Amino acid sequence: MKKLLFLTLNYWSLIQGFSQEKPLDTLQLNPLNEVVVTATRTERKLSSLPLPTSIITSETISNSGVTRLNEILFEQTGLFTIPDFGGVEGIQMQGLDAAYTLILIDGVPLVGRSAGTLDLSRISVGNIDRIEIVKGASSSLYGSEALAGVINIITKIPKKDILSGNASYRYASFNTTDVTTNLIWKKNKFSGSIFANYFATNGYDLNELTPEKTVESFYNTTFQPKLYYDFSDNLKLVIGTRIYHQKQDYNAIISDENYQGKATINELNSQLKLTHIWNGKIYSEYEVYTTNYKTDEFLNDLSNQPFEATYYNQWLFRPEIRTTISFNKSKLTSGIGFNHETLDRTYFNSNATFNSQYVFVQYDYNPSERWNILSGFRYDNHNQYQSQLSPKLALNYKMSTHFSIKSSFGYGFKAPDFRQLYFDFTNSTIGYAVFGYNVAEERLNELDNQGQILFRTNGIDFNNDLKPESSININVGSYYEKSNFKWESNVFYNAISNLIDTKVIAQKTNGQNVFSYFNIDEIFTYGTENNFHYTINNNLKFSLGYQYLIAKDKSILEAIENDEVFARDQTSLSSFQIKKADYFGLFNRSKHTANFKVLYTIPMLKTAFNLRVFYRSKYGIMDSNNNQILDQYDDFVTDYFLTNLSITKEIKTNFSLQVGANNLFDFTNPTQISNLSGRQLFARLQFNF
Amino acid sequence: MKTNFIKLAVLVFFMSFTSCNNDDDVSIIETVTLATKTYSNLHAPQTGGQGQPTSGEFTKFSFSEGAIVTSDNWDIAFRGTTLIVNGGTEIGLTDEPTRTGIASVSVVTSTFDNLTTIPAVSTFKQDEVGAYAFSEPWYAYNSVTHIIAPVAGKVYVVKTFNGKYAKFEILSYYKDAPANPDMTSPSRYYTFKYVYQPESETKF
Repeated sequence: MKKLLFLTLNYWSLIQGFSQEKPLDTLQLNPLNEVVVTATRTERKLSSLPLPTSIITSETISNSGVTRLNEILFEQTGLFTIPDFGGVEGIQMQGLDAAYTLILIDGVPLVGRSAGTLDLSRISVGNIDRIEIVKGASSSLYGSEALAGVINIITKIPKKDILSGNASYRYASFNTTDVTTNLIWKKNKFSGSIFANYFATNGYDLNELTPEKTVESFYNTTFQPKLYYDFSDNLKLVIGTRIYHQKQDYNAIISDENYQGKATINELNSQLKLTHIWNGKIYSEYEVYTTNYKTDEFLNDLSNQPFEATYYNQWLFRPEIRTTISFNKSKLTSGIGFNHETLDRTYFNSNATFNSQYVFVQYDYNPSERWNILSGFRYDNHNQYQSQLSPKLALNYKMSTHFSIKSSFGYGFKAPDFRQLYFDFTNSTIGYAVFGYNVAEERLNELDNQGQILFRTNGIDFNNDLKPESSININVGSYYEKSNFKWESNVFYNAISNLIDTKVIAQKTNGQNVFSYFNIDEIFTYGTENNFHYTINNNLKFSLGYQYLIAKDKSILEAIENDEVFARDQTSLSSFQIKKADYFGLFNRSKHTANFKVLYTIPMLKTAFNLRVFYRSKYGIMDSNNNQILDQYDDFVTDYFLTNLSITKEIKTNFSLQVGANNLFDFTNPTQISNLSGRQLFARLQFNF
Repeated sequence: MKTNFIKLAVLVFFMSFTSCNNDDDVSIIETVTLATKTYSNLHAPQTGGQGQPTSGEFTKFSFSEGAIVTSDNWDIAFRGTTLIVNGGTEIGLTDEPTRTGIASVSVVTSTFDNLTTIPAVSTFKQDEVGAYAFSEPWYAYNSVTHIIAPVAGKVYVVKTFNGKYAKFEILSYYKDAPANPDMTSPSRYYTFKYVYQPESETKF
């Protein structure tokens, strides 16, 4: 606190001192001519794209004053960060869970979904040029996981012959430190960038009665060098690596005993890309990507004897070749590649290996000035599950210079993951077991031979392969832009089938169940998303975002129609029947979410105020009346507002100072929302050169 | 323990008294409304569990007596979350009582009051080797709160050990049936409501 107060005082005196300086335009945004690469794998202007796509610019990120990817994604319309197992935060998109959004860095995927969710706080935003978000099924280009959409983090690229960089220090509540340095240079044919980040925090504790904190203290480091060499104008090489290390305290209480340990994450991403321009019309990209995600966790008892140790070690190796041919009115992009994936982890009997080959084709056609037609498909051939054909068709029609309408139709899928196929887990304290689909039968037979199985559930067999979860996605939207007003609108619908869930396959003699994974549920989500941007002048900008969302389970709706769904009255404890209108939908979905943002710059003071207010309507996180579904009689998490404020001040040309508060009004809900820490004040000093 | 026993004894006495009364009434008036009764805190302890083999005496219940019984005239019996009927053969559990009656059970998805007709004979099941008459778990286990909650809308129709019918709905697994039990609530205390049909009727 003292430190912060000191900085704040300094800050005001600095404003006084430099108020006569001329305004700089670094705080001004230019939304026109924004280019995205994620939607088509070629450079396309955002406004003419037929897919619901948005960009978070580096200016937006630096104005907001946040440091991790989950924090900036949370500020976008229609994206929620949802706490998952182990305090990991994933992203919910178009009402679909975090497991269904593909996360890319510079076009290549992150791995490490140990329980389905990627921890987005792994990514520092310090070297991000922009974040591209494509909503809707995108398996036609990206294959598995791109079911709800794709988030692509594009890092800064050296553009001019220059040596530049920045260094910043940020201190925030909960003893949170962030040190970031960026170095970018270019000299003729050779260029490069080096990014280094150190982040440490004490974490926070919403319930001080328990010995564990809500988030235990941790630190992490990111080191990301990237080198570019142009052999000629037509042959360019990029080699990039990202090395990430995290260490966190790990405390647990098991059967009233305290245990202590550490959780370590090590991650490596290595990408080599050669771009070959054959002539003005054809170019190819040859890419080799390797990534490794490795965790080690241990718990010792109070006398320091080992109690539990787990590990997770995943590798992905992926070569890919893409070629784009430009015609008069169209572009043909095609690609071929393969994935070799291995996973060695606790609770697996042996190493699991996935091999898949794929090919994709995309035809981007402009029959006239007004029309754009995007069509394509991808075929994934896999050794462990059904092969998948993922088509896509999208249209954009420019009605006038200001207004265009767009629609897209696509197929998305998510392959069964390693855990769903190979898990071999028996809970040591309770005694239940979970087996992956591919190993369940063998393990059951083993237990049976040992006399541990009381009986098997009727009608369960493992004859057919577990199917990928798949979706049909439809978007219809519009884009309006005139002078200082911009309005993006989209209506979406997703129907997902073959959702994988656990089911009891047998009962053990100890009375506990054995579970395995099956294609069970069918869900659908629909809703609308609207974003308004209004620029009064260069110094005052507003934006308003709103999403309406409905997400429901088909089989629950059918059960309600068949009069099979009941709930327990909390006072009489008797059951009563649930009607269709009582069904609220899936857990963790809010019907209404909105955000309001203001960016106000005072050129005289070279100071920008960035205020963001977020609203989330009520949602349910668990069933409280004994029917396993969320109905209007359940206990809900009440609606809430969050406010983030940051103030950025330029000092001379090289320095900037930023102060602010995330969760300004200190809203917390300790029992229901574990990822809201309460107010976090921060101050950052940045030096640019 | 002593006071519990006295309470129980009073309850048993009261219930047998009322049921006797009912019997008398039925013979005079044909369309008597059967009484809905609630049995609270039926204690069903077990040893083992939590990964260890479970064992221990089952707590046996008779609908006609409306009480815990130790005789062979029991209809259903409880141990931890396990329910068995006095009909069929032994499942293969440790300390399992021998079946002496012709009891069986049918699960119906309904509210308690709306269930008035005894379901088809084919839906009734008895215990057999490796299979429970109560085939689907009557509860849902929440892995976050660790609470065992009886699934709403599940009513069991029991054919008793001597061929009469009763229906029952489990309301709680925790002592004194708290509205929102937590991990500190003493468990393995069943509260359920039931109706016993003493006549050879097909309606409740």
